[in-house]
Amino acid sequence: MTKLLIDRQLPSSESIANRRNFNEILDGLPKKKTINSPWFYGAIGFSTVFLFIVLNFFI
Amino acid sequence: MSISLLNFDRFGKPADELAIIERAKSNPEYFAPLYKKYHEAIFRYVVKRVDEEEAAYDITSCVFIKALINLPKYEYRGIPFSSWLFRIAKSELYQSFRDKKAQRTVSIDSMQLGRVMEEFQLDESEHKREILLKVLPMLKDSQLQLIEMRFFEKRSFREMGEILDLTENNAKVKTFRALVKLKELYSKHNKN
Repeated sequence: MTKLLIDRQLPSSESIANRRNFNEILDGLPKKKTINSPWFYGAIGFSTVFLFIVLNFFI
Repeated sequence: MSISLLNFDRFGKPADELAIIERAKSNPEYFAPLYKKYHEAIFRYVVKRVDEEEAAYDITSCVFIKALINLPKYEYRGIPFSSWLFRIAKSELYQSFRDKKAQRTVSIDSMQLGRVMEEFQLDESEHKREILLKVLPMLKDSQLQLIEMRFFEKRSFREMGEILDLTENNAKVKTFRALVKLKELYSKHNKN
């Protein structure tokens, strides 16, 4: 049921401005997943294989 | 950041505002001047429709979060950015009514109620006022919304149309129909 409020006291512009908080809005945004570029994974892969070869065959 | 938001380009588009929107699409931090500009208007729109102030602050924050999430989809098509924000506010409000986080409320000023009575050509007697207040919540919410925007918030038909996704003429016609319905309800209850 809809409620009717007559001659209601609404907050002043000053008190509304005091509640303004842009950081709260930024914090409320969903965090973006950071996906590394394929080069990053390639680099890890190559170094792992390189280390494996060095450790197994040269040491 | 102090940016004037009043410049329009040769096509009548609010150039600076659109420039901020474009920048904010890639970095939400650029949205700050628009948040500052529209926060109070959106809060006032929301607070008049809910019974608790705290709920209104929460809904207002949700409106701006939703706006920032959907900003990449925003394109200027002749409708002011403020109307786009009001549309989000309207949908957030109805979501909170469905979730029972807030109660649908209509905030009325006695003076504004006088405007509705004038429209009905009624003298402002206490008895007639009481009947009008009794029948107002009996309207469908879509009709009540039109009366609320036109008489209690003094919005133009153009603005109402932009917020409710109607043409200016359609907003006018629908408001007229809502008034007719209100008159019917009033007459019915005045007889009893």
